[in-house]
Amino acid sequence: MAPPAQSQRSPSPSQPSGKSEVSDLKLQLRQLAGSRAPGVDDSKRELFKKVISYMTVGIDVSSLFGEMVMCSATSDIVLKKMCYLYVGNYAKVNPDLALLTINFLQRDCNDEDPMIRGLALRSLCSLRVANFVEYLVGPLGSGLKDSNSYVRMVAVIGVLKLYHISASTCVDADFPSILKHLMLNDSDTQVVANCLSALQEIWSAEASTSEEASREREALISKPVIYYLLNREFSEWAQCLVLELVTKYVPSDSSEIFDIMNLLEDRLQHANGAVVLATIKVFLHLTLSMTDVHQQVYERIKAPLLTLVSSGSPEQSYAVLSHLHLLVMRAPYIFSSDYKHFYCQYNEPSYVKRLKLEMLTAVANESNTYEIVTELCEYAANVDIPIARESIRAVGKIALQQYDVNAIVDRLLQFLEMEKDYVTAEALVLVKDLLRKYPQWSHDCIAVVGNISSKNVQEPKAKAALIWMLGEYSQDMQDAPYILESLVENWDEEHSAEVRLHLLTAVMKCFFKRPPETQNALGTALAAGIADFHQDVHDRALFYYRILQYNVSVAERVVNPPKQAVSVFADTQSSEIKDRIFDEFNSLSVVYQKPSYMFTDKEHRGPFEFSDELGNLSIGGEAADNVVSAQRVEENDKDLLLTTSEKEETRGSSNNGSAYTAPYDGSSTSVFALQTHIESAISNPTAADHSPQASLAIDDLLGLGLPAAPAPPSPQLKLNTTAALDPSTFQHKWRQLPVALSQEYSVSPQGVAALTAPQALLRHMQSHSIHCIASGGQSPNFKFFFFAQKAEEASNYLVECIISTSSAKAQIKIKADDQSTSQAFSTLFQSALSKFGIP
Amino acid sequence: MPPLMGIEFLCRVADVLSEYLGGLNEDVIKDNFVIVYELLDEMIDNGFPLTTEPNILREMIAPPNIVSKVLSVVTGNSSNVSDTLPGATGSCVPWRAADPKYANNEVYVDLVEEMDAVINRDGVLVKCEIYGEVQVNSHLSGLPDLTLSFANPSILDDVRFHPCVRFRPWESHQLLSFVPPDGEFKLMSYRVKKLKSTPIYVKPQLTSDAGKCRVNVLVGIKNDPGKTIDSITLQFQLPPCILSADLTSNHGTVNILSNKICSWSIGRIPKDKAPSLTGTLVLETELERLHVFPTFRVGFRIMGVALSGLQIDKLDLKTVPNRLYKGFRALTRAGEFEVRS
Repeated sequence: MAPPAQSQRSPSPSQPSGKSEVSDLKLQLRQLAGSRAPGVDDSKRELFKKVISYMTVGIDVSSLFGEMVMCSATSDIVLKKMCYLYVGNYAKVNPDLALLTINFLQRDCNDEDPMIRGLALRSLCSLRVANFVEYLVGPLGSGLKDSNSYVRMVAVIGVLKLYHISASTCVDADFPSILKHLMLNDSDTQVVANCLSALQEIWSAEASTSEEASREREALISKPVIYYLLNREFSEWAQCLVLELVTKYVPSDSSEIFDIMNLLEDRLQHANGAVVLATIKVFLHLTLSMTDVHQQVYERIKAPLLTLVSSGSPEQSYAVLSHLHLLVMRAPYIFSSDYKHFYCQYNEPSYVKRLKLEMLTAVANESNTYEIVTELCEYAANVDIPIARESIRAVGKIALQQYDVNAIVDRLLQFLEMEKDYVTAEALVLVKDLLRKYPQWSHDCIAVVGNISSKNVQEPKAKAALIWMLGEYSQDMQDAPYILESLVENWDEEHSAEVRLHLLTAVMKCFFKRPPETQNALGTALAAGIADFHQDVHDRALFYYRILQYNVSVAERVVNPPKQAVSVFADTQSSEIKDRIFDEFNSLSVVYQKPSYMFTDKEHRGPFEFSDELGNLSIGGEAADNVVSAQRVEENDKDLLLTTSEKEETRGSSNNGSAYTAPYDGSSTSVFALQTHIESAISNPTAADHSPQASLAIDDLLGLGLPAAPAPPSPQLKLNTTAALDPSTFQHKWRQLPVALSQEYSVSPQGVAALTAPQALLRHMQSHSIHCIASGGQSPNFKFFFFAQKAEEASNYLVECIISTSSAKAQIKIKADDQSTSQAFSTLFQSALSKFGIP
Repeated sequence: MPPLMGIEFLCRVADVLSEYLGGLNEDVIKDNFVIVYELLDEMIDNGFPLTTEPNILREMIAPPNIVSKVLSVVTGNSSNVSDTLPGATGSCVPWRAADPKYANNEVYVDLVEEMDAVINRDGVLVKCEIYGEVQVNSHLSGLPDLTLSFANPSILDDVRFHPCVRFRPWESHQLLSFVPPDGEFKLMSYRVKKLKSTPIYVKPQLTSDAGKCRVNVLVGIKNDPGKTIDSITLQFQLPPCILSADLTSNHGTVNILSNKICSWSIGRIPKDKAPSLTGTLVLETELERLHVFPTFRVGFRIMGVALSGLQIDKLDLKTVPNRLYKGFRALTRAGEFEVRS
């Protein structure tokens, strides 16, 4: 669409200098405005073209508004189009003048040519001035009933635009239900598609406030609607939209799943990559619960995806490769025979190459490692140095994930002999990691490493690796003490603190193995270390010095203990995040390799995302959203209950629990209360004039710790200390019961600090007779399912609790057999949670 | 937002614009702001892609060509926009303009293949694949219904179709049954993998010694495809550590461009000798030997052969119009054909 008006921008020298030209145009337009002479349209058109091109290059031509409107009385469609464009661009900055145009736009909406009707309606809706909404409703209403599909199509999008200008006007005019009718009955598929996208947007936005809208939104993914949409022929773009909707649909049984997949199978052969990818998403999501079919789907989608990678622009390759990367991570063996597709081409951009290298590491297995490593080694001689480095690192990663590393070690050692600085550097780091995992290779490696002159190694990481090996294997390396000694002598020339730290440790290790040869070096190193300006180096040197002074054998036990081979190196991305990205297949999340909540603004996030920021106690909105997304939450819950490995069985082991009536530790809780007070004051400076619900929550929080504060009148609630509930009953109840209470509140800083692993909280809550049935997550986001029982009767409380330590917030959802006591239980739960982390 | 939707749409916009304006660069757009706005207006509204089929767009907005200019002078009707709306938007074949009429009915089918290959420094074929397209240029009256069959469809590994291709006949009998758009379009694209050989060989040899590197590259025909191989070219990037290069060939011309790309255009391979490129590269002063080896990119073109071996069996029309002409062609060229040294 038209670019925004840039009125402040000064025209560059190459462009016409604005002012005089514009006034010139103004004069000419004025002359033409009233003229009815033949051929006047042609000269008008030339002028309009000039105006439009000025507008586009950023010259402010809004002063011509009046003249343009005067000239717009014409039957020439190109003139009209240019005029609409102009008006649409400047209406926002000149709302008063824009009012002049309403009249002729409305008249054009009744033109006999459908194209003009459509264009006029589109421009009318694109003015986006709030005062004009009253003029929009009429034309939109008749546009939706127009006999021509083009006009209807424009009108549908117009409704959406109106909704964004003024939601209430749009809803009051009952447009959503007209759209719904059109969607299900219109003969033109583009109209249907536009209705669908407009309705999705409107209802999702309305769902948080209106019950009906959320019901309607659910209805969109009901069986009749989905089947109706699946059976219509859409344009390729509309197909993407429909397919996206189908992924949200939950079929009732497997035969339905197969029906849908059969119907959609030809889409995998579509020329438009967007359709192919959307179809793949449908297939993957439909078969998630059917393991064997899911595997077949992987096999089926492999070829189309690989074709998409190798045809088309590098941007497309990258986007598709990111998706493949995700799939490869989930099922490497399926792609292991297609490793050749991930070979890099010489002139591919390096972002594609980098991703391909990652793929090669991921698909490497016993059968193809040799070929892949051979290929990677060729890249090491690549002109593109960053890629050469990456490929060496890839070789190392493969080595670390394989059992048979024989050949790879040889390759790495060849790298060391290649005499290229960056190759040597990368290879050194890898050899170090390799030795940590496979100490049995030390003999071969050390022989080669010993030949490397430390003068040729400049990069800190590589130098540190070399020094580490010198220290660790000093008994096998003849020259080790002397090399270290020369390094120590050049202490002042070593700029990297990391290297100096490693040097200290290596000299220590060497000293324990070959004391007479190293003693001098050690003395020099400790002296230099203690005099070092870097705090860590200084501290470590001092520590070594004192521990040696205290007892040499203790020092040896500390510095040089027998080491165990590292079996697994820490993974960088948690599986939870990967799953979340998989849920967002066919979106930018996959391309960025981050779930959407990490890169979108808070207001654009889905209802169920963890918040990263402090502040904003928006309980009302969140709660409503949670209710709406109950279905999705339910799915998550099921997963968690079934799969969590940290599931803790707490039944019958809680004799140490105490009842809620135990007296408070006055001093510490009042400190806590003060802190909460400060914290909530900081995080929510406008707490005083917040919604009553929010301030109630704060009152609750403040009232918790202080027994004097007015607490809700239900302290009599006592919990059964030996409550028992088996997981399947819990699951059953959780699905049946409605949410009785849903709240969010802050966790104390001490609590946050203490919550390093889920187990810590479990024990704490158990001491308050609240038992955990399942837990999961990693810092900073944890999720728990608790339950508790009333002391006298078999009435259960079920709690879902999501704690985010980064924002110090806990989101609580309570379900209860006896709804009336849920508030009391909530208070109890909060107080229990609030004492977490306070000794 | 689905990433491919954005990329595909932008590609489509670029295609349509360059078709309308005969090219795509800043100046062309500056000269045709109005047409660009008109097109974008029809292609996207409020962020939703609408019509991207060039045939339909052409009915809504006439391209700024000489014909329309002449027409406007002759008829006096200066509008470059048709007065009627395209009827096809609602029809079941949205890609086809309503009812074109031709005195001569013609349909041409071209097989265009690109060979992607990687040969490593030991002369081993690491990877060899063909990416092919079936391009059709159709000028047929009415609503023609075509069926295209291949002699050996089983060699195809993965196929993608223009939306006009019906899926069922392909699935059951490997027949392409379709109602074509008018004019040129890409009917189908396919991939054939795991080919065993390439038509030509390229043997680079680099030996370095005492700050100099001798280069010797031999090019010749390996598997004669039966047709002449022409437009053979060889390009490689000289490593940055090279100070100067002196390269000569016994056939064709050698150019070293300013960005250190050496380009050798051979053309056809003569019958009597094998073309070779020889010369020396002078390395930077401290370097004894060359550590970074260039990758040679090879280009060639073979008319009349589809190297994948794919053959068109026949093309049938359901209702045969009078004066029908059918034509078939094939072409193979090098895609990403690399020889490492």
